Amino acid sequence: MSGSWKLLKRESLGRFLDELTAGAELWVPRRKGTRWEFDRYEPGKPAAFPASIIEVSAKALFFPRRRPIARFSPKAKWSLEPVELPAAPRIVMGMHPCDVAGVRYMDRVFLGNDHPDRLYEAERNRTTIVGMRCSEMKPTCHCTDRNLSPDETQGMDAVFAETESGFLFRALTEKGERLLGSPLLEATEQKPEAKEWPKGRHLVPAPDELMELYDDDFWLEASDICLTCGGCTFACPTCTCYLVADEKFGDEGERVTAWDSCQFLSFSRETSGRNPRRTNAARLRNRTLDKFAYSFHKHGMSSCTGCGRCVLICPIRRSFPQLGMKLKERAEDKKKSKARVS
Amino acid sequence: MATTELVPRPATLVKVTSESGDVMSFEMQFNDGSTMDSLPGQFVEVSVQGYGEATFAVSRLAQDRKRFSVSVKRMGHLTKMLHRAAQDEVVGVRGPYGRPFPVDDWKGRGIYIIGGGIGLAPLRPVVDHVAAHRSDFAGLEILFGARSPQDMLFKNDLAAWAKDSFIKLHTTIDFPAEGWNSRVGFVPVVAKDLGVRPDNRVAVVCGPPIMIKLTAVALKESGWPEEGIYTTLEAKMQCGIGQCGRCNIGAKLVCKDGPVFRLDQIPSNAL
Repeated sequence: MSGSWKLLKRESLGRFLDELTAGAELWVPRRKGTRWEFDRYEPGKPAAFPASIIEVSAKALFFPRRRPIARFSPKAKWSLEPVELPAAPRIVMGMHPCDVAGVRYMDRVFLGNDHPDRLYEAERNRTTIVGMRCSEMKPTCHCTDRNLSPDETQGMDAVFAETESGFLFRALTEKGERLLGSPLLEATEQKPEAKEWPKGRHLVPAPDELMELYDDDFWLEASDICLTCGGCTFACPTCTCYLVADEKFGDEGERVTAWDSCQFLSFSRETSGRNPRRTNAARLRNRTLDKFAYSFHKHGMSSCTGCGRCVLICPIRRSFPQLGMKLKERAEDKKKSKARVS
Repeated sequence: MATTELVPRPATLVKVTSESGDVMSFEMQFNDGSTMDSLPGQFVEVSVQGYGEATFAVSRLAQDRKRFSVSVKRMGHLTKMLHRAAQDEVVGVRGPYGRPFPVDDWKGRGIYIIGGGIGLAPLRPVVDHVAAHRSDFAGLEILFGARSPQDMLFKNDLAAWAKDSFIKLHTTIDFPAEGWNSRVGFVPVVAKDLGVRPDNRVAVVCGPPIMIKLTAVALKESGWPEEGIYTTLEAKMQCGIGQCGRCNIGAKLVCKDGPVFRLDQIPSNAL
């Protein structure tokens, strides 16, 4: 289902957001220092919605950085009890298409198997996603190369766009429809301005071509200046690798999942000391191939949404689009030399 | 109901056995009386509260499917804590996970088990299964190697297997030792010497990665096709259910697509 566009006048924004908080936790973008991230809406505090990328993805709202899954008393022999599932209704407003695509991928990771993650499921079920169309693409944005667009609405319950006079809202699901019943939203003939976005480029070789480059020297050359800080994985809206650990604080103990990174030396290291991804090169290869090849096998879609958050956070300004282009060149060279030989 | 699959169920240790200097077996059962529905080759995650959890193959399942064992080599923090656990203590268990050995597909064939050290643990349920359904199989041959006589695991089982006319057992240690009158030499070398032919047989290999790799080479030299060799791989795991992301070999996850693999189905660089 999708309803018609409704107009919220600019001056009514605060009142509308206050109304929304009556029935749910409301999360909106908030500027912190030099970057944007999601935060709880505080009534009376003006909200603003960036035209493009929110640097800190909304991933943590669905899969927190540190997430207790059970509690125990360290003194007892066995007292591990699962945590309560969160149920309070929540609205996340202003997620851009690349961020919502990240949630769609996480759905496949956490729910698309025999062992659905009930905590993730509860976070999803209690959340209404009011997505936002981007009105510009930043230099690092490349969603159009990744089968997405700044206008994409898949995965959103409602969508809005900022215009001169205010905000145009449109419901996409029943959940979204329920939020847009306020009399502050007026019927309108207006539609968001249709923009010409750049055509999608095929920057990265196809999965099977990429796999041909598995043993290529490329990975050594490309990885020698990588600091393996893991920033790209934490910023990525689809990177969900985690560890499980027990933490004790005096009389309280928690079993938690916490974000982990395939870029860390210890990530796949076994207790024996054996480590299948000992080198920077092997770890860069693993992440790149996971984004552009393995994810198709595992979950039927690429896990790169083209948001460019990995580029924004990288201390050596590693650009995945550029990496993709270099890989493409390498793949072409390989094809040519094969053709020459045979 | 557990809120997530990641929260284990309590199980009580009913029997703790010291197998060797650094390996102990823990027989346990769920506190709620439920069964462990594992198939040969599957694994569980065992927790010691306050210290975390680790991955272990089910090394035995009782006939009533209530009591099950894991055999644990002392290697790191968690295994050290487990080794301190005594009978009647409670641990957490979740699972079983992973793809089991396709024992039903092997009916009518001979089974050749090759284990190195603690690698025999995930293979013991295969031995148990084949021995219990012996009319379905054309023989059972076992080659087990350990570092020294003291490192021989499952000594009661080895004695019983040696007496069983259905089972042909070979044992070997890495270096000569006093009082040892069986074979001496690394498993792949002994496997080559034995020269068991692939005729209507399936080989099932588990041990340290290097042993699996070289044993596969030895088997291939005796004419074994990769399609006739199965192995179960080890990898660092945390979730066991295909989510945490650390056990992949290419696009395949050891926890979900394995740990049991047919040799031709894993990339050559996996070992």
